[in-house]
Amino acid sequence: MNGYNFAYLDEQTKRMIRRALLKAVAIPGYQVPFGGREMPMPYGWGTGGMQLTASILGGDDVLKVIDQGADDTTNAVSIRAFFERVAGVETTTATAAADVIQTRHRIPETPLEHDQILVFQVPIPEPLRFIEPSEQETRLMHALEEYGVMHVKLYEDIARYGHIATTYAYPVKVDGRYVMDPSPIPKFDNPKLDMSAALMLFGAGREKRLYAIPPYTRVESLDFEDHPFEIQQWDEHCALCGSDHSFLDEVITDDAGNRLFICSDTDYCLTRRGEVA
Amino acid sequence: MLWPALTDPVHDSQRLFRQILQAMSEPGTLHELCAPCPPRDASIGPALWGALLTLCDLDTQLWIDPALDSPELRDALHFHTGCRLTQDATLADFALVTPDTLAREIDFAIGNDSYPDRGTTLLVAVEYLSDDGPWQFSGPGIETQRCLGVGNAHALMSRLSVNRSRFPCGLDAILACGTRLAAIPRSTRIVNRQQEDRACMSQ
Repeated sequence: MNGYNFAYLDEQTKRMIRRALLKAVAIPGYQVPFGGREMPMPYGWGTGGMQLTASILGGDDVLKVIDQGADDTTNAVSIRAFFERVAGVETTTATAAADVIQTRHRIPETPLEHDQILVFQVPIPEPLRFIEPSEQETRLMHALEEYGVMHVKLYEDIARYGHIATTYAYPVKVDGRYVMDPSPIPKFDNPKLDMSAALMLFGAGREKRLYAIPPYTRVESLDFEDHPFEIQQWDEHCALCGSDHSFLDEVITDDAGNRLFICSDTDYCLTRRGEVA
Repeated sequence: MLWPALTDPVHDSQRLFRQILQAMSEPGTLHELCAPCPPRDASIGPALWGALLTLCDLDTQLWIDPALDSPELRDALHFHTGCRLTQDATLADFALVTPDTLAREIDFAIGNDSYPDRGTTLLVAVEYLSDDGPWQFSGPGIETQRCLGVGNAHALMSRLSVNRSRFPCGLDAILACGTRLAAIPRSTRIVNRQQEDRACMSQ
């Protein structure tokens, strides 16, 4: 596309983000500050993820973008079209065919392969932010590995509801050191972070932070011995593909209280239906 | 005067960066870089020259070991990247070194507990690099274990081995020999298998 550098960002910005990415990978789970740029869309629409994608993307990469698991929602369609236009890259909806996958709030159901890179869009990168509003304080807490307060928050859930009520953005500990916000993915996806074959990069545009989990890294969800970490489960199956093991979205079908459950990962659901048919 | 650089700066630096990123996220894996030849009188290989061209620019400070320093390298770096050279190792974002540099007590930046990312990345010119050697790695990016041979580089490896005791502060290293490149980030646990064997035998 005329008038823009390949993948929108200028080369010096890309180099700055690339250097930050190398540090992020070297210190898994640590939030590296970076000079976030203004992107041609509002904060909260994935500007952090887009800057990371723009910095790593190459001409022969195949890109997939998902929003809550779906390839056909507004955010996913726009970002895919953006990179088709400013980078001219090939795009796909098939998880297995993609080299780079940018995601908003889901990890694909199909296990990721080695050599694939998953880029997360992150609204609030600091897992301790709702407990401690001061950046200076949370930075000190990370430096001192002072994470007791996070367990207190989970304990308060147990005291109030009898179980840990946090269902998304469930805090994890990376390689036994940094407590990290895995972005607002459902806790259903947390086990997929552990010892993943793919490199995972996280970008927060408004907060100007990026962090990473290298492949084959230990990622534990915080829990208690007597209240171990558990993922969501459903009594229903997917109404379209019949899956009993994927993350399901509830869809209201009329005003009489009727509803059905379908896979949130559209590619996974379509592939299963194709195989069954 | 010939100062070879990337023929297509946008796509070549992207390709090289992805290889360096993969090297850093999977410590000890070997990567063949297709990079231009370094300036004639420089004693570094294409892989290290490619890494310099990919990562350095106006915002970075580079420290060069006198053993690798040369007028033509300086001129070429200045012309192609615009990076600043520094005499003060504690300010260096990148340091171009040999394994022996680490035998001297030079204070590279290791970051601090609040900002561990402000550490120097070592760009090390090694004479030998293979996936078979006495150094055994584990940790993030490594499924079980991985081995690396770096030739005669005891000073370097012992300096990188203490990284774990200071984590998250520490030094990250990119090692290169000719067109071949590997990385050892500070998160890697390093064991010398030969020393381990000797320790076992003496028991």
